[in-house]
Amino acid sequence: MTQTAKAAKKTTSAKATATTAAKATAEKKAATTAKAPAAKKKSAMAFPFTSIVGQEEMKLSLILNIIDPRIGGVLVMGHRGTGKSTTVRALAEVLPLIDRVKGDIYNRTVEQYIEMESGVKGAPVLKASDVKTEKIPVPVVDLPLGATEDRVCGTIDIEKALTSGVKAFEPGLLAQANRGFLYIDEVNLLDDHLVDVLLDVAASGKNVVEREGISIRHPARFVLVGSGNPEEGELRPQLLDRFGLHARIITINDVAKRVEIVKLRREYDEDPEAFLKKVVRQQQKLQKEIVAAQKLLPKVSMDDSVLTDIARLCMALGIDGHRGELTITRTAHAFAALQGDTNVTMEHVRKIAGLCLRHRLRKDPLETVDAGEKIDRELAKVLGEAEVAA
Amino acid sequence: MIAFTDIVGMDLAKQALMLLAVDPSLGGVVIPSTVGSGKSTLARAFADILPEGTPFVELPLNVTEDRLIGGVDLEATLASGQRVVQHGVLSKAHKGVLYVDSLSLLDSSAVSHIMDAMSRGAVIVEREGLSEVHPADFMLVGTYDPSDGEVRMGLLDRIGIIVPFTPVNDYRARKQIVSLVMGTRNEEDTQDELRMLRGIIGAAREQLHHVSITNEQIKGLIQTAISLGVEGNRVDIFAIRAALANAALSQRTEVDDEDLKLAVKLVLVPRATRMPEREPSEEEMQQEEPPPPEEQPEQEGEDENAPPDETDSDADEEQEETPDMIEELMMDAIETDLPENILNISLASKKKAKSGSRGEALNNKRGRFVRSQPGEIKSGKVALIPTLISAAPWQAARKAEKAKKGIKTGALVISTDDVKIKRFRDKSGTLFIFMVDASGSMALNRMRQAKGAVASLLQNAYVHRDQVSLISFRGKQAQVLLPPSQSVDRAKRELDVLPTGGGTPLASALLTGWETAKQARTKGITQVMFVMITDGRGNIPLAAAADPAAAKAPKEELEKEVEALALSIQSDGIASIVVDTQMNYLSRGEAPKLAQKLGGRYFYLPNAKAEQIVEAALS
Repeated sequence: MTQTAKAAKKTTSAKATATTAAKATAEKKAATTAKAPAAKKKSAMAFPFTSIVGQEEMKLSLILNIIDPRIGGVLVMGHRGTGKSTTVRALAEVLPLIDRVKGDIYNRTVEQYIEMESGVKGAPVLKASDVKTEKIPVPVVDLPLGATEDRVCGTIDIEKALTSGVKAFEPGLLAQANRGFLYIDEVNLLDDHLVDVLLDVAASGKNVVEREGISIRHPARFVLVGSGNPEEGELRPQLLDRFGLHARIITINDVAKRVEIVKLRREYDEDPEAFLKKVVRQQQKLQKEIVAAQKLLPKVSMDDSVLTDIARLCMALGIDGHRGELTITRTAHAFAALQGDTNVTMEHVRKIAGLCLRHRLRKDPLETVDAGEKIDRELAKVLGEAEVAA
Repeated sequence: MIAFTDIVGMDLAKQALMLLAVDPSLGGVVIPSTVGSGKSTLARAFADILPEGTPFVELPLNVTEDRLIGGVDLEATLASGQRVVQHGVLSKAHKGVLYVDSLSLLDSSAVSHIMDAMSRGAVIVEREGLSEVHPADFMLVGTYDPSDGEVRMGLLDRIGIIVPFTPVNDYRARKQIVSLVMGTRNEEDTQDELRMLRGIIGAAREQLHHVSITNEQIKGLIQTAISLGVEGNRVDIFAIRAALANAALSQRTEVDDEDLKLAVKLVLVPRATRMPEREPSEEEMQQEEPPPPEEQPEQEGEDENAPPDETDSDADEEQEETPDMIEELMMDAIETDLPENILNISLASKKKAKSGSRGEALNNKRGRFVRSQPGEIKSGKVALIPTLISAAPWQAARKAEKAKKGIKTGALVISTDDVKIKRFRDKSGTLFIFMVDASGSMALNRMRQAKGAVASLLQNAYVHRDQVSLISFRGKQAQVLLPPSQSVDRAKRELDVLPTGGGTPLASALLTGWETAKQARTKGITQVMFVMITDGRGNIPLAAAADPAAAKAPKEELEKEVEALALSIQSDGIASIVVDTQMNYLSRGEAPKLAQKLGGRYFYLPNAKAEQIVEAALS
């Protein structure tokens, strides 16, 4: 352990120089280099979240996850070309700021930092007042399909080894995603071995790397966001179960809405900067709403009777385990907070039950009833509205 | 080298490429065509009409992930002692063209990477210690032969233009024209023409900023997309861009009817999943109507007119909103430009999605080498070069360490941590081809049991890494409803709308199944199993598919056909299960006979439950 933390610490400080050196080499060498100015620009200028027309289910799911990351992420499945990845990538712009230890690659809080770094023998005991912090936007990390395991989990810093012969840890995407969002587009096409890694880390909230004689353990708690088209392939059941919410997305068939989408898109393509300037207020407004909901969340309470109804609903639907109840409860709290309410009612639950439970229903190959309808029906029964529903 | 202007014919494909040259944000052009139609020649000649210096990168089909995305350049890394990055094919195509010949044969993981790059306009390299973003904003030009299989829908979704399929009989004539022209042309003329064309395109690029499209026109395009059942909303933008680009090519400032028609033809129609309401689909259906089956003719046409999609009603309501004139115009474009077998085309585009990576298992032993990853020497084949790459940086440090301990070292110090083993991609598992008899003689409750069996097997498909394909046979010929896939959703949907009624083209089913099996084998599937759900009473010969008059055939001939096919299928190493759906008292033993000819196993459905069929198939 002694070596561990030291190595990790060294990494953080030495990392910056090593990376710059690497970049310089890469730029000089490759013919078509120009270190991705276009791509960088693209990520800095995503189509704004608040200008996305329709697809309310997906937008709500994402916002609820910002308000309470413990909801456990969201899986967005649906038709091609309906703005799945556009929406997730737009998320970054409306995310609130978080505090982290200054320059910390793991985005740790002061408490986490002190806990990890003080455990080392011989290391000075750190005080909270000694640690500098900074504000950063909640990180959104994109995990591309072709990522290799070493880049996801982190590995030995080769640059450092080359230049100084020192073994140091180079953190991967899981480190960057700590306390933020980890987004996987086409999640149903992700290689099995990466899915295994994700399941492992998502369950423990920690990433453990053992390599070249050093061993690193760092926090990796993130909101998992996946999107895909079910027609391209099925999602592994274990991974499906990991997602707190499941939003469905379908082709918008309303002409007026589609005209609106096209108009906004064309306006954006014409002059992205001007477009963003125009909507900056909307964006800020949403961000403020989210921050307000986050503040309100600890004050939101739920009557036991509501909890009982939730349990009855899950039982009636035959949902295994307690993850269903837990997710509904958390999501309903977040939803109430978003609405500015401090008391969770079954009306809140009704709005989010489908999102929470859709993917947890046992799959019956002969079932033709839509999962959402089934949930609504059972919910009506639980609330004693059975006659109305029938 | 044949120049763009030398190619005669394929006018639509040429037009499509010119639109792309005018507006690269159309994403790309896909040209489906038969072998020898000159599609690849045309695609390669596309470089001629682009501004000079535009990259044109041809993607080899057997490309590895490393080469596609980029990675560490071994030679340079070893030489310099510093890690040197090599850009992948995708980023080399930045601001230019990525050309793929035989697009439908491209490995599905490669397709996923291309899709990803197209959605971001960049490649994110997170591999082997590298973390970089390389710009990769390219136009994708793809050609393929539909008989090799279809291109994945997800990829087509990111490509603006899909050129309507060119019928087979045209290509010979075109080939002749090409060679004729080649004989008479001289280089100078060609160069002049190319220069002129480049000028036109350059001017059109300028003009593009000055072309406007009205709201009504946009509405018309959107309405058409909806009534054709095109999935997703991205097509709207593509259709508009295509119309604008075409107007720009003619140096107009406003989009006119011709532009709209072309946009419908090149962008919307190829993605249609249904015919617009107005199309008299009954007529088509009547043509398809098979000769009456021997028994239970009242079953016929039971589900025939069921709408394929519940969104039909939505489209209906909204049709009101579009100005009649534009609607008429769109219908015009659809009707005049489409071959008669529109319904087949629509279905074809619906079938396009193929299985994702689930159908392909990464493993340590068989298949195509795609990447290396850390592992133990014993657990697979060692990937030598990646192992050396990972060992290279440590040499100085390790030698120093060993020297400190007084241990002598060789030229290389390799530790177990360096070892990388090869990962291969292999479509393992079995392909189950379900052939469901949907003829009039299949009582409705049998159909439900059959559907149940298929659905249960699909549920198992993930666990066993199997693929399932669905073929229905009724009327004149069999039809592939679902090409090899693992999507439960899709199969379920196909099954839900499976119409019944008509004759029993058993021979056609066998042939179609066999073809599907052969195609799957070229893509790495090793084991194929037929699951035939039928009463075995074929009454339609193969010839009926081409000639409705040949639908009546003597029983002996029908049997001969089936027998010959069954024997060939058996000797081709395809295993079979025949599930007999016949009621006992009617049985004349056709299904057991079929099972015998196929060398397969026989089950009697009225006693069998869906789970039993699954069990039998999996055992």
